[in-house]
Amino acid sequence: MRAFEVINPGVYTTVQDLGRPGYMKYGIPVSGAADLFSAQVANLLVGNKPEAAVLETTLFRLELLALENLAVAVTGGDLSPSVNKTPFPMWQAVSVQKGDRISFRGRKKGFRAFVAVRGGFSGPRYLGSRSVFSRGLMGNTLKPGEILESENCAARPLHDTPIPPHLLPDYPFRPTLRVILGPQEDRFSPKGLETFLSSEYTVSAQSDRMGYRLQGPRIEHVQGADIISEAIARGAVQVPGDGLPIIMLWDAQVSGGYTKIANVITADQEILAQTMPGQVLRFKDVTLEEAQAALRGKEMRLAEVKRAIAG
Amino acid sequence: MRKFPRIRPSGDSALLVEFENRIDPEVNRSVRALALTIESDRPPGIQEILPAYRTLMVTYDPLRIEYSLLAEKIRGWLDRAGRIDLPPKRLFRLPTVYGGPHGPDLERVAQVLHLSSEEVIRIFSETRFLVYFIGFICGLAYLGGMPEKLRIPRLATPRTLVPGGSVGFAGGQANAIATDQPSGFNYIGRTFVILYDPQVFPPIPFVAGDEVSFPPVSEEDALRAKGKRAEDFL
Repeated sequence: MRAFEVINPGVYTTVQDLGRPGYMKYGIPVSGAADLFSAQVANLLVGNKPEAAVLETTLFRLELLALENLAVAVTGGDLSPSVNKTPFPMWQAVSVQKGDRISFRGRKKGFRAFVAVRGGFSGPRYLGSRSVFSRGLMGNTLKPGEILESENCAARPLHDTPIPPHLLPDYPFRPTLRVILGPQEDRFSPKGLETFLSSEYTVSAQSDRMGYRLQGPRIEHVQGADIISEAIARGAVQVPGDGLPIIMLWDAQVSGGYTKIANVITADQEILAQTMPGQVLRFKDVTLEEAQAALRGKEMRLAEVKRAIAG
Repeated sequence: MRKFPRIRPSGDSALLVEFENRIDPEVNRSVRALALTIESDRPPGIQEILPAYRTLMVTYDPLRIEYSLLAEKIRGWLDRAGRIDLPPKRLFRLPTVYGGPHGPDLERVAQVLHLSSEEVIRIFSETRFLVYFIGFICGLAYLGGMPEKLRIPRLATPRTLVPGGSVGFAGGQANAIATDQPSGFNYIGRTFVILYDPQVFPPIPFVAGDEVSFPPVSEEDALRAKGKRAEDFL
């Protein structure tokens, strides 16, 4: 079914689902929605399975023309969504009429918003996933005039009342990201580790779904910045020879030869998805047990949202 | 106590098994043997098994299996990995056109190494390269076995775009890049065999432990391989 015509593709908009795990050994990153909580909740609100494909849009300017009567949900960062110039309520299912225009007029909070349509966005799958990864020849960013199709049927009914606010994520303006040190923390001087854990870093303009480059105090190595190339985990903080950290994210290369000082815990990677260039962040080291507890907390929050939606 | 193999966390959802810290076929063999042992006995909670030169990364769901339990299992697999037989290696012979527009760095490489272009082609194309592992982006094969005579550094300024299929080397490593990418390697030739296709499974032809060579052919013969899969050149 034809769902939307893209009037303005926005700054950077792609179709994403939960990604394509299992292909890293072929050199292919997992990709998938940067903020999995928001993407899954958007789907649940319009009665989709959590793994259906959504639009991930960044900053502002995306404008969509509805080609049918549709049920739509917008979650994630507040990019001032509107429908025909009146505010579009976030975190709930909204009925949109044929001919309506949904647009994103400016960022208020967060950085990435997610648009789900009842039935889920259809379109080509590559290696089992619809997540766009253009460097790997798997789809592209939206283009003006492009027609977005959706599946006809949905699994469950709509949820058109808002989710209780205490279940919604907060996107801190100056986030502290929790990290597990390593695996090459022994390749940094005590002073270098201290710099990393006590300084403020600014997200640079050269940041995207592959990685976030940070500006701030340089981190001191011992014995140089290079290692024999190896696999890179999502959230790894690699520090090349210039001493400035790069956080490797959703579309990052799967292997590389720079020392990694730490790894942002899984639970906090969604905070990064909602942090934009120019914002300031810091790092705090935690134990594996703390990281696991944070992840469990996040799972429980999603389960609670599911219950709230199931009513 | 021996220093290696050593197991350590790489974030909260991956662990790294480190073997001796050098690029060496025997060390890499241990990595692959462990990868195969885990794959044949894959317990729930394990997501990706990622061999590299001298490390193996295992990604997992920490809500299904805890680090300490997984590390203990890995120690058991390490014991068994020494007894496992690795599958026989395959040799891919990818027809390659050298020099001219397809190998923009050939003449310069020859000059720097005080060899003739023909000698560079001969030494390079007689080499059987070992696929140590697949990584970077779009199935780049990390190739080892570069002859000492062809040691040359990377370009001082990387090219912003090198066409897919370009065959080259730098700093003791060789590669045939799978898709158009920026690169600082010295490219001396090109193969038109498909090295990456996300529409099929598996998306890339090689696995760690395979061998690749780049026999010289005419431009006409190289182009004849266009659209063919690497498996046609075993």
